[in-house]
Amino acid sequence: MRGSIVKRTILNRNPKRTGTKRNTIIRRTQFAALGLAALTLLATAGCGSSAGASDGKTIKVAYQKFGNYKPLEKLLNAAKSEVEKANPGTTVTLLPIEASENDYYTKLSLMNKSASTAPDIAYEDTFLIKSDAAAGYLLPLDDYVSKWADWKQFVPNAQDAGKGDDGKTYGVSMGTDTRALWYSKDLFKKAGLPVPWQPKTWDDILAAADTIKAKLPGVIPMNLYSGKAAGEGASMQGFEMLLYGTNDPLYDESSKKWVTGSQGFKDSLNFVKKIYSDGLAPTPQQALDAQIVNIATDTWLPKGKLAIDLDGSWLPSKWSEGGSSPWPTWQDTMATAKMPTQDGSDPGAVSLSGGWTLAVGSKTKSPDLAVKYLETALNQKNSLTYDIEGAQIAVRKDVMDAPEYKKSSSSFGILSDVVAVTKFRPANTDYPKVSNNIQVAMEGVMTGQKSVDEAAKAYDEAVTSAVGQDKTTGGQ
Amino acid sequence: MAGAGILPDRQLAGPTAGSPPQARRKKRSRPTRVLPLLPAVVLLALFLLGPVVWSFYGSFTNAALTGAAANNTSFVGLDNYISLFGSSVFPTSLVLTIIFVFASAVVGQNLLGLGLAALMRNGNKVVRAIVGAAVVAAWVLPEIVAAFASYAFFSDTGTLNMILAGAHLPTINWLYDTPMVAVTLANIWRGTAFSMMVYSAALMNIPPEITEAATVDGAGGWQRMWNVTLPMIRRSISTNMMLITLQTLSVFTLIWVMTAGGPGTKSSTLPILAYQEAFQFSNLGYGTAIATILLVVGAVFSIIYIRALKPEVD
Amino acid sequence: MSAVSISRVSLSAPRRNGVGWLTNGLLLILAACFLLPMAWLVLASLNANATLAVALPDQWSLSNFSKVLTPEQTLLPLWNSVVLSGGTALITVLCAVLAAYPLSRYSLRIKKPFLYGILFGTGLPVTAMMVPVYSLFVTLNLLDSLGGTIFFMAATSLPMAIWMTKNFMDEVPIALEEAAWVDGASSMQTLRTIVVPLMRPGIAVVFIFVFIQAWGNFFVPFVLLLSPDKQPAAVSIFNFFGQYGAVAYGQLAAFSLLYSVPVVVLYVVVQKFLGGSFAMAGAVKG
Repeated sequence: MRGSIVKRTILNRNPKRTGTKRNTIIRRTQFAALGLAALTLLATAGCGSSAGASDGKTIKVAYQKFGNYKPLEKLLNAAKSEVEKANPGTTVTLLPIEASENDYYTKLSLMNKSASTAPDIAYEDTFLIKSDAAAGYLLPLDDYVSKWADWKQFVPNAQDAGKGDDGKTYGVSMGTDTRALWYSKDLFKKAGLPVPWQPKTWDDILAAADTIKAKLPGVIPMNLYSGKAAGEGASMQGFEMLLYGTNDPLYDESSKKWVTGSQGFKDSLNFVKKIYSDGLAPTPQQALDAQIVNIATDTWLPKGKLAIDLDGSWLPSKWSEGGSSPWPTWQDTMATAKMPTQDGSDPGAVSLSGGWTLAVGSKTKSPDLAVKYLETALNQKNSLTYDIEGAQIAVRKDVMDAPEYKKSSSSFGILSDVVAVTKFRPANTDYPKVSNNIQVAMEGVMTGQKSVDEAAKAYDEAVTSAVGQDKTTGGQ
Repeated sequence: MAGAGILPDRQLAGPTAGSPPQARRKKRSRPTRVLPLLPAVVLLALFLLGPVVWSFYGSFTNAALTGAAANNTSFVGLDNYISLFGSSVFPTSLVLTIIFVFASAVVGQNLLGLGLAALMRNGNKVVRAIVGAAVVAAWVLPEIVAAFASYAFFSDTGTLNMILAGAHLPTINWLYDTPMVAVTLANIWRGTAFSMMVYSAALMNIPPEITEAATVDGAGGWQRMWNVTLPMIRRSISTNMMLITLQTLSVFTLIWVMTAGGPGTKSSTLPILAYQEAFQFSNLGYGTAIATILLVVGAVFSIIYIRALKPEVD
Repeated sequence: MSAVSISRVSLSAPRRNGVGWLTNGLLLILAACFLLPMAWLVLASLNANATLAVALPDQWSLSNFSKVLTPEQTLLPLWNSVVLSGGTALITVLCAVLAAYPLSRYSLRIKKPFLYGILFGTGLPVTAMMVPVYSLFVTLNLLDSLGGTIFFMAATSLPMAIWMTKNFMDEVPIALEEAAWVDGASSMQTLRTIVVPLMRPGIAVVFIFVFIQAWGNFFVPFVLLLSPDKQPAAVSIFNFFGQYGAVAYGQLAAFSLLYSVPVVVLYVVVQKFLGGSFAMAGAVKG
């Protein structure tokens, strides 16, 4: 049948064709030559140019761009113009990766693996530093920071956050954060709950959530990030804020082993299961939306649709003028409370700290320029602006002492108090894999697909197979 | 890919299609004759055979996207396959893939396509044009756009629930509570056009005298369909089933956009699982093993398909 | 000829008019089911306050289109799609025409195994196997290279393209070439001057077939092209969905329509001018 098209053409064209044969030959030759030229052009253009590091004069900066979050891009742009101005003839190219947090990690890893795409500078979460350093993606910075006058301004904790398993420095901290309970004073008053509020145990939180559910229909009592969509946010803001308040650790620092089969793990999963199945949390479908991290803070809280949110210290940056969801009067509505331990036992409160770094790619052909960029982006002036606009907890002493920073951080309240009890995620290369399996376990129980025991068992198996039998230890 | 719609067409076209001119040519030196094949062969060897070979190779390593294994990749033998079959996720995913292929392709697209083709023979001209355009449009749209349209249609506040609510029927949170139903229906919506076109062409090639003779003999509609029509388009049926099976086996975008394999692993078919394991959980070797299994399944179907078409090549 | 629209003498006898009415009704209901999800795309794109359900806009507006029609949002990605799909189609057609010639014109010993291999290749789910393809591209240092991606997509569409091109070429009678050979023309000359011009519509069908397939492909560029400035519309539209999909439904629909228009136009071209839907069967699935 298609054959008939060709046949028709043959029938139609053939008589003419023989008459103008010479002409046609010339035209055809030109056509073929054109085609070949186009082909060559495409091949060379395509193969030749790639995003990777090049000649010492250009560097590429990969970072996450998601929704309307602006402070990071502003910082990177400021550093770009400063570096280009101070080093004539150089170019800094920004590579925004438009993806949610988990997808950003995926894309960054995909880029890091190939020399042709590895960025010279990457915006890198502290929890990935060790893993990516072990993979050989990152350049050790010790020789550079030892000569950098500013390095001693960074507090020891922040310096450690950028270290790999081998003790070398791979990333420079941009700021840190803490986690606590955000709650709406308005909604609490409406529900007849006390303000200020400070729960002493998990049960206190559940009781408050129950009250809100009963008194304020249409309001989501509590948000606790859970499942793969929220990514590391679910592991850290969600699950680990629970687990670190139990008697069982995630990782045994003394034996350097991951803990499996612990009661604390199951209790934490049980908390997740309870709030999601009792209607104390968003619907699982809402929670599994990739944009949940923005929806909860940019829409639900400002609109009074969410009463309690277990979240990070950076929320004010979203509500600031020029933030993703400006809310100038947020302090009239929102307040913070410490996240209690499971049963109120010492130290009474839990917080976790993470944060992001800038790191230099090991495959860079312009390490000097890349380091210059890094040192410019994180100098006192730029760090100060970024820490204020991004609502970061400063890690440079000269930023902490700056009056502007003191003024802006005065609203942190409890979020800076919990620095006293805050903990860090396990300093181990395998943490990202374990974190993934935490998200899988959470998703299993929140959706009702798995019982707590089944999810915990699947977690134990997956972690054992991911890190190796010799690196796990059974819990109490 | 893997759409070979012209193939059944050729078989069915019978003597009307031009028979290939036989190669009667003056002798030329043999090596130069095959030279024009070279660019195609190089391209196929590098970018089609390459990934196939690489897939087998990679599935025996512990290649990773991050961590120490990314730096020092080593051979782990059959470890990936052993942990695949030992895990709870892979067998589930395999079953989901089989359900997806069977329900959306073998049953859904195939039967609906045949039904549409048969009905359209009796429909009036305008109706036929409308139905043809509607069904084919879903198939012409780029896959990701079809996926967005399906996402909107099945979402909690989407068109389907609006209609159900309007008819006072209970609404369902399709993408969350019944993700497999949603992606299966979406794939039927998107892919039926192909089967419909194959069967329309096949039915058109049945000489009218045969069905007329059956009608004169007193055969009813269903009897005619069952005893006369279906046996006559037997080859088209088997070819079509094979092709849509291969196409459906590779579906990634539709599911990725609608449910991303979730909630949990409730709609993680093999292509989704391979992506998640390899790229999101960084286990390249493990993900490659899943891809290899997918490849083997595809190869088996492909061989069955070639056997069905054997006379064509000769 | 079109499998869908060709008119045939109806086999139904007059007494079956009632059945005919029923058939038409049933067909129209089915058509409505197929149209509903697409109706959302059109209506939402024209609705300034679009939701996820089909609804007539209370306020018709083109604002969604003007919002997404910015260089970095739509125009660059669409241009990248043109380069990617055009390059893929060009390379595929060139290689397919060259390869089809000996397969169509000579009796070669390798012909049968080669054609079997080609058929086998059409069945492999290579575009679903992006994990090993990614690793291969890392090894070949071709990641994020438009050229590498084009060559990969060309290779995956080649089996089908060679098969189609050979069938088209078989339709061109060899007698036309024989005169030229007597005049001393080489086989490559006759291919260029006689065979290719005569099968131009067939080549156009193969070109469009490959172009549409490449245009709609999401998974391949999603994994292989990582720089934002190289990503085709399929990927940038997905990024848009990820970031704003839950809020800007209207813009998502507008972007989707802009991205779909070229393939719909090309499909109509094939339908109207190049021999009907059948030539395209199987072509569009990515």
